[in-house]
Amino acid sequence: MKRVWGYIATASLFFVLIWGWTLQVDSSLNYPEFISGGALFFVILVLCMFNVRKRLPFLPLWPAHKWFLLHSVSGFLALFLFWLHADVLWPKGLYVQILAVLFYGTTLSGVLGLIMEKIYPNLLTRVGLECIYERIPRDLADIRNKAENLVLECTEKTGSDTLAQHYFETLGWFFQRPRFIINNIFGGQNAQTWVMQQCSVLERFLNEAERDYLDQICVLAETKRKIDFHYSLQTMLKKWLLVHVPLAAAVMAMVIWHIIVIQVFFI
Amino acid sequence: MTITTQSRPQRWDQPFGSEMTDADVERLLGVPEIQAIEADKFPSRISLEGILRNDARIMKYKAGDIVIREGDYGNSAFLVLNGSLRVVLAPGLPGEMLGRRKIQKKNIWQALKQLWTQKTSPEFRDIQRYDHKSGLRESAVPGSSHVFLQDVPAVLDSNKTAVLEGGALFGELAALGRTPRTSTIFAETDSELLEIRWQGLRELRKYDQGWRRLIDQRYRQNALKAHLGATSIFSHLDGDDLQEVADNTLFETYGTFDWHLSYKKLQGQDRIEGVKDEPEIFQQGAYPDGVLMVRAGFARVSVERGNGRQTITYLGAGEFYGADEIYRSWKGELDVGLKVTISALGYVEVLRVPSKTIEKHLFAYWESERQGGTRVGEMKSEKRSGRIHDFFDQTLAEGALQEWAVQERFVNGTQAMLINLDKCVRCDDCVRACASTHDGNPRFVRHGKTFQNWMVANACMHCADPVCMIGCPTGAIHRSLSGGMVIINDDTCIGCETCANSCPYSNIRMVSINDENGQHILDPQNHKPIVKATKCDLCADQITGPACAFACPHEALKRVDFRDVTWTGEGVGGQ
Repeated sequence: MKRVWGYIATASLFFVLIWGWTLQVDSSLNYPEFISGGALFFVILVLCMFNVRKRLPFLPLWPAHKWFLLHSVSGFLALFLFWLHADVLWPKGLYVQILAVLFYGTTLSGVLGLIMEKIYPNLLTRVGLECIYERIPRDLADIRNKAENLVLECTEKTGSDTLAQHYFETLGWFFQRPRFIINNIFGGQNAQTWVMQQCSVLERFLNEAERDYLDQICVLAETKRKIDFHYSLQTMLKKWLLVHVPLAAAVMAMVIWHIIVIQVFFI
Repeated sequence: MTITTQSRPQRWDQPFGSEMTDADVERLLGVPEIQAIEADKFPSRISLEGILRNDARIMKYKAGDIVIREGDYGNSAFLVLNGSLRVVLAPGLPGEMLGRRKIQKKNIWQALKQLWTQKTSPEFRDIQRYDHKSGLRESAVPGSSHVFLQDVPAVLDSNKTAVLEGGALFGELAALGRTPRTSTIFAETDSELLEIRWQGLRELRKYDQGWRRLIDQRYRQNALKAHLGATSIFSHLDGDDLQEVADNTLFETYGTFDWHLSYKKLQGQDRIEGVKDEPEIFQQGAYPDGVLMVRAGFARVSVERGNGRQTITYLGAGEFYGADEIYRSWKGELDVGLKVTISALGYVEVLRVPSKTIEKHLFAYWESERQGGTRVGEMKSEKRSGRIHDFFDQTLAEGALQEWAVQERFVNGTQAMLINLDKCVRCDDCVRACASTHDGNPRFVRHGKTFQNWMVANACMHCADPVCMIGCPTGAIHRSLSGGMVIINDDTCIGCETCANSCPYSNIRMVSINDENGQHILDPQNHKPIVKATKCDLCADQITGPACAFACPHEALKRVDFRDVTWTGEGVGGQ
């Protein structure tokens, strides 16, 4: 935690210095936008370097956790420098408005990602089950097969199709693929409630032998619920970058074009 | 209903060597060193003949073949039947000559070059390399190829050596003590050796006075005195006193040598039952009859709590217990009983230094130090036993993590991959970094046993007791002398899977190696893919150190030595 404050203090100092410099340049009737713009471009470059660093794990380019802190703090610094540079929250002109949309989009996705990365790991741990994301489809298929085999076995052994009917009317839907994804993303308990309801609603219609099968199916449903939870949250943890990184790339491209245009037509 | 039956498995269902014939056994019984054994002292179920037939095998070595390598872990001893062998004396042969991997850290340029030189197909191997460097002599017996010295005269010229001839016994201390071999021995001429696995050796030591005297005497002469002298409580003693302590010291072994084989079977077992089944070394409440020193392996330290036992800590090699209790008793305190139970975790070898010896050589020294105004000796004792006493006040919840680590035998790890799941965002940057630095294929699985928010991932832990190294026929898996990590020399690995099957934590993986086009490299004889053992090597040749920890953006992954870990509610410290 101490280290974060060190980064924040450095970033704040950097911002104050740039701000002071722009005020000084402004008072001497020059263009302060060159100072704030240059600083903003530098910070954006630092932000992009994190992605480059990730692709070069074999080079001694500082440990990744330090880069991550630098990236997070620099992201906020870039936002303040952007406001300093644009002088308004929403700039005028189509090109810079598109740039602003992309920049705000990148920042917002970054902040959301940061929040998820702080909250989700703890929620995943509390589930009490760990699974590798790439193996989830296989795990779900295994559970579904086991559940369906139990239903078939129950029908064969007991001669009753009550459990089978219920499975194909309701439980089958749950076992088919990941469910309650949105609810899981917000940390909801809907899946747990649903599984408990579906298991309890059937219980009084079954004899003792069938109840044994239902219990086993309920255990599988509970495991599946936990895997669904992992699937939902891990999907978010992986997929938010698919928004953040392309937006950041677009910002970088537009910033470079912006600088070229300024160099050619303004200076 | 049909009942499946099977005859009860017997000790010698799996003999050491499948080629032993009646004639071989008959011949061995005529060898003077074996003839001297009193066969009638052996019980009928473990006869001398049975041991020779099932716990021994005749091995043939050609001139230049390396029989044992310095630093290897072995589970057998050798008796020279005929031929001549050479023991290479200090400083020993260079690692490359023994089939070791030479570790050279990459420089910045070599590290950067990996960016474009890495092959797109994973596990690419340039097979030309194996032809030129391996120095392997193929053997007709599967999995028993030998590394050989290509220029024996040059080795003899440039190294000090001693000769071993017919009747010489070697390798018994490392085999029984689970310690690394201390020297390299190679065949000077074509030789024939009787290799006896540790189980047979144990029985020979147990039932034959001559072999017991020989082995114990060698241990006292060669290893014990040096070992005692290196401990903090006897470091003040000079030659004669140290010899007296060594002469009085008792050696004891507890648990099973092959604990790794039964470890996996015990995984599903009830934790409380598992503790109860462990052989006790010291019992809580008993009078201390000596100081217990762990020489190899691990011992659980537990106290009675309710209906079970709470593990409060463990003792590893070099640690001891009991001096404090004996000291208080010596000072006249009454009812000084042991406060803890110490039991064997898997396999443990202990030295018991009797109270009388401790009183004479340790307490007298402590007293003289005290009278001289210093409390060096006593402070040493307090510090050591304090480690255990500090744990008495911990609650069950506080000790749960430590208990788990002991139960799962993770305490064996010196570089375990510990992941804090409360910080890990499952981004797999660690896995990608590992793949980028290891032929495009990660050397670990980001999955493993979990306790609360801690996960010990399936990555080589570079164990203090590396059972994976026992039985490697070519010494390809070895402990690096620089850094101490357990590494595999890909050039000399023959893909026999011995190490992968021995690893109790399933952290060694066999992979099919590929050519430049990503096609499996096949064995021309049976057209099966050539496989090699792979595992985490702690990125020994990378300048960044372990790439996994270096690449973790949330500092969730750490490589830890469980002996140094202090568990707290907020995290793991002490690294």
